[in-house]
Amino acid sequence: MSEPALMEARDVAVRFGTRGDVATALDGVSIDWRRGEILGVVGESGCGKSTLARAMLGLQPLAAGSVALDGTEVDGKSSLGELRRRVQMIFQDPYQTLNPRQRVRTIVAEPLLVQGVSSGEHEARVARALEDVGLEPERFLERYPHQLSGGQRQRVAIAAALVLEPDGLICDEPVSMLDASVRAQILAVLVELQSRRGLALIFITHDLSLAWSLCDRIAVMYLGRVVEQGRATDVIERPGHPYTQALVDAIPVPAAGGGGQRELLSGELPDATDIPSGCRFHPRCPKRFEPCDRIDPPLLAAGAPDQLAACLLHDPEHAGEANA
Amino acid sequence: MSALLEVRDLHVLHGDRPIVDGVDLTLAPGEALGLAGESGCGKTTTALSLLKLLPPTLQQSGSITLSPQGVAEPINIGRRTERGMGRVRWRHISLVFQGAMNSLDPVQRVDDQIEEAIRLHERVGSRAELRARIDELLTTVGITPALGHRYAHELSGGQRQRVMIALALACRPSLVIADEPTTALDVVMQAQVLQLLERLREQLGLALILISHDLGVLAETCDRIAVMYAGRIVETGTVDSVFAAPQHPYTKRLLETLPVIGGERALAAPIPGGPPDPGEPPPGCRFHPRCPYAADKCLVDPPLREVAPAHAAACHFAPWSEWPEVAATTAEVEV
Repeated sequence: MSEPALMEARDVAVRFGTRGDVATALDGVSIDWRRGEILGVVGESGCGKSTLARAMLGLQPLAAGSVALDGTEVDGKSSLGELRRRVQMIFQDPYQTLNPRQRVRTIVAEPLLVQGVSSGEHEARVARALEDVGLEPERFLERYPHQLSGGQRQRVAIAAALVLEPDGLICDEPVSMLDASVRAQILAVLVELQSRRGLALIFITHDLSLAWSLCDRIAVMYLGRVVEQGRATDVIERPGHPYTQALVDAIPVPAAGGGGQRELLSGELPDATDIPSGCRFHPRCPKRFEPCDRIDPPLLAAGAPDQLAACLLHDPEHAGEANA
Repeated sequence: MSALLEVRDLHVLHGDRPIVDGVDLTLAPGEALGLAGESGCGKTTTALSLLKLLPPTLQQSGSITLSPQGVAEPINIGRRTERGMGRVRWRHISLVFQGAMNSLDPVQRVDDQIEEAIRLHERVGSRAELRARIDELLTTVGITPALGHRYAHELSGGQRQRVMIALALACRPSLVIADEPTTALDVVMQAQVLQLLERLREQLGLALILISHDLGVLAETCDRIAVMYAGRIVETGTVDSVFAAPQHPYTKRLLETLPVIGGERALAAPIPGGPPDPGEPPPGCRFHPRCPYAADKCLVDPPLREVAPAHAAACHFAPWSEWPEVAATTAEVEV
């Protein structure tokens, strides 16, 4: 792959708080977001997945590391402006992201205004963005958010993100507040944008079955680290990290008989101000062995091509010590 | 075995608009029933009406009979006064809500809240006896009794939901209604809470009505399921039967839109449009404006009738031997 990724994060760290009580939200995260791909970022609340999105958009000061667009590091105002033209973001709650006092026409045109696009172009570009998300402009342009259903609101939010014709769209739990039938409609819109326009998507979700069905690649995060990444099918169907396995095992299965009996992860996500020694997952890990509380494992080759997992089970030097 | 709960022809009106429109439910002792459906379909309203907890703007009618073990006369909830309901709520039927943070008292310690629930409904013995009972309740839901001294904000989301369940169990009810108890939780925490509910059901012989929009959650936890749409039950049956061979187009399309790992990876065509506004159902079959299989006769209201053993559906065409192909659409259809 010679072409640079659309975006890269390199060893990104983000910390919150001061002095004694520093929470490490991101701790050395590196990730490639390739052109035209759907990259899933999954993990429990508090694992750092939304912070990663904010860090990539320059909305979060980095304690260390860097973020690059088209292989060029984003630093300073001009590159940040470029980044925000090229990469957009939508959020979970379509009831809170739209200004209740603006009409759809104004909401969708606002990014054009901010980026200084000449006003003669606004009308046509707003109409096209609305059509792209399946809303007929003549019916929706003059409406206010309260005259829209939840699904329509999320479509308007997507239209406002698309109006600048970005190369990438970061979606932070875009369907988790929507009902099943509406959720499927929004997903269909996103997938169509990706396949027709080559829009790259980052899809942040806690829903692993959704990530599996939608994404090309998946990164699994735990306590501020990427602990596994690879092709979606490899990561979810043959997890290389015990944490990924635990997440997959916890998914309720909508089928006769459900998921059957299974072993559940005990305990909860530790406090980000007090990250465990060695592998940060070891206190909850059903497969931990002797060196896990001492050695912080790097991402290691874990089976399929492109699949990496931060687990000593994949370290030939230590794997033998595991009591399988 | 006779039924624990019998609901016949339950209606809930908002002015003249039907929010719940003729719901029948039967629940055996110790049975778990899942109530599924999208926002506004009437599932929460149905649950609240079982406890007569609806706001005064909503009028309920229909018969609700509860026959708990050890109680000589069945309790006619439909006819009970507000005062009379005070002896049913929590003692016989209790409720677990979705947002535990909003349902727990922020300025009362966990122990004190449980103690209050017990004192309100029962005559209690000595201080030590009460203490032992609170500790036992907390232990039952997997919380160290020492955490009882904490306030709600000092607990994690999963712990709060466990405390809510302990509260619901405080007076040893025979039926617990849980309204989206795991929706605010992560997958791992959700799985732990569902496992807890399952264990409690076995240990205490609890009957459970579990309300969720997540069909996966219901498949894992329930014996039977009822799918609601626009104020009616459109399909009901054993979990195995409904998930293996759904007989209402709404259930079928809903199940298709849910990815199952290891199954078909492509996204299924979504159901067009959205559910009708509560209280303003379309005429005839309520699903027909969104149904790919709709025909002229769907303008006549289909009754909920048995279409397979222990499996009923409100669709003129049920039982379906095969489902015709449907064209995919992503366009917005307004209903």
